[in-house]
Amino acid sequence: MSTSGPAARRLLAAAGIGGLVFLVVPLLVVVPMSFSSAKSLTFPPPGFSLRWYVAFFGDPRWMQAMWTSLAVALISSILALLLGGLAAYGLRRAPFRGEGVAEANFVAPLVIPTIIVAVALYLGFARVDLLGTFTGLVLAHTVLSVPLVIMVLTVAIRGFDLRIEQVAWSLGASRGTTIWKIVLPNLAPNVFAAWIFAFISSFDEVIVTNFIAGAWETVPKRMFNELILEINPTITAVATLLIAFTMLALAAVAILLQRTGKLQRTLL
Amino acid sequence: MNRVSLGFVAPLLLLMVAAFDLPLLYMLGLGFWSRKGGFTTEHYGNVLETTVYLKVLASTLRISLIATAANIAVGYPLAYWMRGLGPKAQLLAIGLVITPFWVSILVRTYAWIVVLGNGGLVNSGLLALGVTDEPVRFLYNELGVTIGMANVLLPFLVLPLFAAMLRIDDRLLQAAASLGAPRRTIFWKVFFPLTVPALLAGALLVFILSLGFYVTPAILGGNRVAMISNLLDKLVNEIPRWEQASAISTILLVLTLAIFAAYRHLERRAQT
Repeated sequence: MSTSGPAARRLLAAAGIGGLVFLVVPLLVVVPMSFSSAKSLTFPPPGFSLRWYVAFFGDPRWMQAMWTSLAVALISSILALLLGGLAAYGLRRAPFRGEGVAEANFVAPLVIPTIIVAVALYLGFARVDLLGTFTGLVLAHTVLSVPLVIMVLTVAIRGFDLRIEQVAWSLGASRGTTIWKIVLPNLAPNVFAAWIFAFISSFDEVIVTNFIAGAWETVPKRMFNELILEINPTITAVATLLIAFTMLALAAVAILLQRTGKLQRTLL
Repeated sequence: MNRVSLGFVAPLLLLMVAAFDLPLLYMLGLGFWSRKGGFTTEHYGNVLETTVYLKVLASTLRISLIATAANIAVGYPLAYWMRGLGPKAQLLAIGLVITPFWVSILVRTYAWIVVLGNGGLVNSGLLALGVTDEPVRFLYNELGVTIGMANVLLPFLVLPLFAAMLRIDDRLLQAAASLGAPRRTIFWKVFFPLTVPALLAGALLVFILSLGFYVTPAILGGNRVAMISNLLDKLVNEIPRWEQASAISTILLVLTLAIFAAYRHLERRAQT
């Protein structure tokens, strides 16, 4: 930058690097801690061991929580993708009156503080006996994933040339065929990204789950309650597995979007 | 609504109305529902009359303000520094800012127990350097909560601010320099004013998100730091006073939506 002298520039670099370190320090600490041989949370760890991973995979309650998390995330993300995908297409390709209101409604769960969604769903679900049920859990997670799907797919559909679809229609293809044979294959990377985002958001969800899940335990819910009660190093192993899982999923999205040259548009 | 769009949008609309809008409306109604039956505003009156509620409200606002200020103090220099980096370093920096964004908030909050605890990284460092004789208490007080929140929220400020800074034309700065302006003047009179809308928009976003924080105060505050969310948790899950919880949620909701409207307004200005 031409606007700063050498001393100022060094100061700025120190501040910038300091900021980055502050951001990533939690991740840099958790991963080595999970391989610690000690029961106490000392850093750096005194020795290497896999005991906390063994403890995690050997604990039936953690395993049960993992299967619940996976099932809820899988079902809710697919539901959000199906309904959200259709709606995103409708919003962009078949404009109607009140379209803005509908879109605002779909994105609202992301804008409204999650704690309010948690209170509202708790009260509403209590009223219709959905509290503590698997169905209620899936419904809540679907609602929370919908905004991500809508945001990713409305952008993608807007960027897809309408004339390509018009050509298909003019050749006699129905709307359904056009979506299935033309739109979907072209937007496959974006659809995949939307699905991964929905899946991760469900898999990480803790606040609403904590309120409405009753006896059902997901991995984040169990983690949260363990963290409040006591500090058990098994959680470092869970945390590391979560980080690895998230990074792999995002890397898959990034590679796919990079290949189709859509990375930058989806990220920013 | 014509028939084509109805077919596409209706399924999702049905789900959202049933599993989101109706519960929300039910909550809004419950806040005005008297236990004896009928309409009442007593739950709102309670908020103003009960010291505990006012205290929690005040500490929520205070923590949110401090976390937002800390975000600006760390985030502005970071975004400014990133603007001046080469393309490769810039991509790496963006990656490092986005990565924690996607990692579970539980994981990030948990890590601070390890970093800030009495035997943690920061305290062993301070002790070794002789800065303090005994460990500084970072955890289970507002300081720890604020640090944890600032960390979680930083990407929300840095990413839009950085994007806005990238849009500033370097030729503007060169023009100021060619007219003889000293570096400091160029920054404060040309560069900084151009980033103010984005900075304000980012700060408002961070502030809104702070108001609803639940996980970080629960874990790093150890029951000693209560924010609105933790109070709501108690009123719903422990004491059961649902009507009261509904009234407090409604206040938080209105507050959030008002600030969000201001944010959208600023964001639009920041993009032009």
